[in-house]
Amino acid sequence: MEKEQIIKLQRKANDLRKDTLNMCIEAGTGHVTSSFSCAEILTTLYSGNILNYKYNNPEWDERDRFILSKGQASPILYVALTNAGFFSKDWLKTFCKKDAKFGVHLQNTVPGVEYSTGSLGHGLGLGTGVALRAKIDKKNYHTFVLLGDAELHEGSNWESAMFASSHNLNNLTAIVDRNGYGVLGATENIVKLNPLEKKFKSFGWDVKTIDGHSVKEIYEATNNFRGYKEDKPLMIIAETVKGKGIKSWENKALVHGMAPKGKDIKKLEEELEVYSSRGEYE
Amino acid sequence: MRDTFWDRIYGLAKRDKNLVLIDADMGAPSLDKFRIDFNGRQYFSTGIAEQSMIALASGLAKEGKKVFTYAIAPFITSRCHEFTKLNCGLMKIPINLVGVGPGFSYDDSGPTHHLTEDISIMRAIPNLEIYCPSDNPAAEALAEKMYYSKNPTYIRLDREILPDLSGRDESLVRGFREFGKGDLAIVSTGNMVHTALEAKTHYSGKGIQIGVIDLHQLKPLSKEFKKNISQYKNLVSLEEHILDGGLGSIIAETIVDNDLPVKLKKRIGLSDYIYAYGGRENIQKSCGIDTSSVINKIDEFIN
Repeated sequence: MEKEQIIKLQRKANDLRKDTLNMCIEAGTGHVTSSFSCAEILTTLYSGNILNYKYNNPEWDERDRFILSKGQASPILYVALTNAGFFSKDWLKTFCKKDAKFGVHLQNTVPGVEYSTGSLGHGLGLGTGVALRAKIDKKNYHTFVLLGDAELHEGSNWESAMFASSHNLNNLTAIVDRNGYGVLGATENIVKLNPLEKKFKSFGWDVKTIDGHSVKEIYEATNNFRGYKEDKPLMIIAETVKGKGIKSWENKALVHGMAPKGKDIKKLEEELEVYSSRGEYE
Repeated sequence: MRDTFWDRIYGLAKRDKNLVLIDADMGAPSLDKFRIDFNGRQYFSTGIAEQSMIALASGLAKEGKKVFTYAIAPFITSRCHEFTKLNCGLMKIPINLVGVGPGFSYDDSGPTHHLTEDISIMRAIPNLEIYCPSDNPAAEALAEKMYYSKNPTYIRLDREILPDLSGRDESLVRGFREFGKGDLAIVSTGNMVHTALEAKTHYSGKGIQIGVIDLHQLKPLSKEFKKNISQYKNLVSLEEHILDGGLGSIIAETIVDNDLPVKLKKRIGLSDYIYAYGGRENIQKSCGIDTSSVINKIDEFIN
């Protein structure tokens, strides 16, 4: 990927953050920090020519399937889908309002959304079914699942991880948004997930660990999926920062699921502005 | 009954390559040919992992596959209930859940393997059709009904070999069968229909005619069923299931919601889990739902 394109996508990721923050401030709710840790991942998938989709035909059978298992990050996916043209930007203003098109957790009635998620530990299992169907029917689409790291505490993920490798689902790529935090604090202080890479390898997956805020690394890890030769599913552990872009909420416990209120609004908006204009791309 | 059901599904799978069966490490003689003929294309196993089975099935079904899932009944209902709620209830993904061994089917296996609350919890899921056959013809008819249904479905198949109560007739399509008439009818489902029929024979010997209604489509209820129960003066519900939210509740709610003239005199069923062994009949006796206990309870008001 050219440097110019990388810079363009990094800027776009920050635009998604701004729209997400505005949307959540307006609604007074929404998972801002969970959204911010996956801004570059969604930007690269939807705007970096990774996912194959038709915004005007969301059910197109050849589309690549993207399943957001961490459904609490719905605000930034809705923003990404608006950007991709799936629905009007005006819908964002209705977030959690009386006339809402959608609420806090992801809703499959929205164009471009595959499944209603938010109940964690569900998306990877759905993804195995979607990928298995492609194998059975010899379809070329690829299935991506974006997982939260704290949701890996749900045992259902590991059931599905075993099934996926047992059936050589190399048309399935899962990405863990490894921001290191659950609701109450660091995942490693709740129940240890590490060594995560070894765990997935031992479950029969090919594993890559990348910087989840680097568009370049996300692109390099995901762009070759059609030529992927392994007979294993691929797990990308994307190391991220929860709340990335708003300094005072980065890696902060107990702001999970919150939108800024009162004095915090201006402060966080300014922090995001500073982060967005810092010019440290790549 | 289980084999009759799966034989019919196997026949459908032979001509419909889109039909997929997923089990959670659960066998049946009739499934052996599924494994041999369809493995890797129309047959898969998740191992003992009901949650991932439901999620896998839902992913496949949303992509257009006609999916049947299969496990021991308590585990395909309670263990993965929330996944079923989301996929079948909320997202209306039409997967089919087949559970073997409701009630005390797994008699001496003990209460971990008994299933006495599935009707309550499964009928709380919107859009889910619920079936409970009492014999082979019903199991076969319901296999077809599930295959052709566009909704998610759940069927509870007794593990016991139960005698056939009738041939394949039209009554199987409408969701219930009726045996005899009288002022009173016992409404039951699954294996307990046979207990109800034993009670009917007992009263018949005493010159009292009662009806027995075999309700094998528990949800949705047909209009004909509502009309049919209105012909009776009194009803008794009988189930090998907890009373809270079970068959008796279905009947009571139907009467109230439709302002039906019939009276539900008694709900016979279970109130707790139980450690009891010595075969199903003995367990039923311990809980007061065997034939003589049922007769004693009806005797309280029939005379």
